[in-house]
Amino acid sequence: MLRGTVVGFGRMGITHYSILNRHPQVKFVAVCDSSGFVRYNAAKYLGVEAYDDYHKMFREVKPDFTIAAVPTAMHMDVVKTAILNDAHVFVEKPFTLNPAQGNELMSFLKGKDLVHQVGYVVRFSDVFMKVKELMDQKVLGDLYKFRLEINGPTVLRGAKKSWRSNHNEGGGCLYDFASHGIDLINYLIGPPDNIVGTVFQRIFSKDVEDAVISTFIYKWGLCGNLIVNWSDSSYRKPDNYFEVLGKKGKIIADLRTLKVFFRETPENEEYSQGWNIKYYPSLAEPVRFFVRGFEFTRQLDYFVDCILKNKPSEICSFDDGLKTDTVIEQIRADGTKGYN
Amino acid sequence: MQDVQTQIPVAEYGKLQIEPFRTEREKDSAELDRLIFGDNQFFGINHMSNEKAQSQAIRFKDSDTIIKVIDNAYNAGIHAFMFNTHDRVSELCDHFRAHPDRYSDLRLYPSLPYAHKYANAVNESGMLGALNEFIFSGRSTKQAISTIIRGGKSIIKKDMIEVMKLLVDAEMRMFRGLRIKAVFLQNIITDLLLGLGVRDVFIEFANHVKKKYGVEAAFNTANMPVLIDFLLDCGIENPIVCSSINKVGFAMCPSQAECERALAKKAFRSIAMAIFASGAVPPKEAIEYICNLPNIRTIIFGASSREHIVDTMNMIYSCWQEK
Repeated sequence: MLRGTVVGFGRMGITHYSILNRHPQVKFVAVCDSSGFVRYNAAKYLGVEAYDDYHKMFREVKPDFTIAAVPTAMHMDVVKTAILNDAHVFVEKPFTLNPAQGNELMSFLKGKDLVHQVGYVVRFSDVFMKVKELMDQKVLGDLYKFRLEINGPTVLRGAKKSWRSNHNEGGGCLYDFASHGIDLINYLIGPPDNIVGTVFQRIFSKDVEDAVISTFIYKWGLCGNLIVNWSDSSYRKPDNYFEVLGKKGKIIADLRTLKVFFRETPENEEYSQGWNIKYYPSLAEPVRFFVRGFEFTRQLDYFVDCILKNKPSEICSFDDGLKTDTVIEQIRADGTKGYN
Repeated sequence: MQDVQTQIPVAEYGKLQIEPFRTEREKDSAELDRLIFGDNQFFGINHMSNEKAQSQAIRFKDSDTIIKVIDNAYNAGIHAFMFNTHDRVSELCDHFRAHPDRYSDLRLYPSLPYAHKYANAVNESGMLGALNEFIFSGRSTKQAISTIIRGGKSIIKKDMIEVMKLLVDAEMRMFRGLRIKAVFLQNIITDLLLGLGVRDVFIEFANHVKKKYGVEAAFNTANMPVLIDFLLDCGIENPIVCSSINKVGFAMCPSQAECERALAKKAFRSIAMAIFASGAVPPKEAIEYICNLPNIRTIIFGASSREHIVDTMNMIYSCWQEK
């Protein structure tokens, strides 16, 4: 039985707790949160110790693993404390505020046999798992163009002061929304050689960007756009859209539908020449316990499975988180050139 | 203010029990309709494709278009409707109240809360800010003060169960004066709380709904077998549980086989939703699968045209008659 803790018991922390609390080989022993309301209710109804100081929590509880779901600016210290206390760590995305922090965290891992994972949950979604399979098989031949869009209705008015409206704490659309898209590009295609034409737009927020548009260039002939907007009220909830073209065909994917076009009969026998369409209800494999989406359970079960089987996380480790942070920093630097 | 608030008693949680029915009306409410008309299609919710969801959202931009479809269902003989507490449902409720003769036999199954509006509000205002917004939005000062006094203890003691009751009442406000058959806890919240394992919230939700609205609590879930065991363990007997049940096993966790086994073995009132898996199963096949399963008491389905409503009804009824 693995003894777990959660640091940061907000919307994501509670979701992760709920999913793993039903895992037959996990027992949560403590949570940590800065809110008295949250601590009061966690202690009363969940029967776990509720701390306001995670240093103390790690010292006293000595958990096997921790879920870090705190604002991004706190990832550095929470993750470091977990590693130094020999706890396996699952940290919400993005990994850290910048690659310098990420590199420092990686250095603490040296000589330790710990499982580490970053919460880029879209990697575990039914449709994008299928896209990854196709990309790894290189079914489209030489790629030359892509577009990745994320749109959602998350910020539709000037937010009150919170960490989400402050860059230094990890706020803004680039860290929050766009990181998912950047991670998907890294995962499905790889990090770009160059980033140009980045424009940040403020729509409703005063201090942070609500939209990001950027161009990714690959020396081997691929070019693509990242277009992200968290202030689009026409969406019911956030959604990802990915379109990639190669000489042999095209893939269009969102969280619900996979469309693949093949110019000629492909080697993969699951598909045929012309358009192939797969919908989420026929792609989605049930999970052990469902909260909010299949992918949320899948990513956490994978993390726990890696711990139990003593194997490293290969799907979304800190190394992957660091690669995404590096691209985020490049976009930030390009965005300050003032194209607009 | 402090004195007033501290006089309000707070229940001793952890020793809670399900309260019995008090009136004949409450007992009547336990008889569920066999067909319920769902509302996902009206609000751009479609599991199959975003394009389809968007085209539905465009089509149902005006409440008049929604009411036309509701009238088609009502005239075809479906008088039971499930509504999520989407903001636009309050317009529909105004319409029902304004035409009592036309909807004299209307029976509603509210499902709350509509979670996405909370998710966005939490992002904007934080968790406590969002709670305040929902509890006090659209209320007069006098009402707000009375809510503060009633909920005063919970705001001071910050008790989750008292906050839950205030939120239920805030969400139920739009259905005032209309006939309610059962109140559903929406699946994101049901499953989140199920994972947390907080028995008291389920018990108190059921008790509150019974006491305040005179009907039974019901639960939407994607984890049907696990939820049933949990509800029975909470003392909620013969619970009303609504879950996806379809031929392709979509959203049937932990597995289609486990869900089918629960239908055969467990004592609960089952409501099947997503029987077409958002279009992944052809209608005839979908209905045959459902009708061959034991213990399916009620089916919820949504449709956008009169023909589709009538065809689906006829297929279900003739399949039921054959069994």
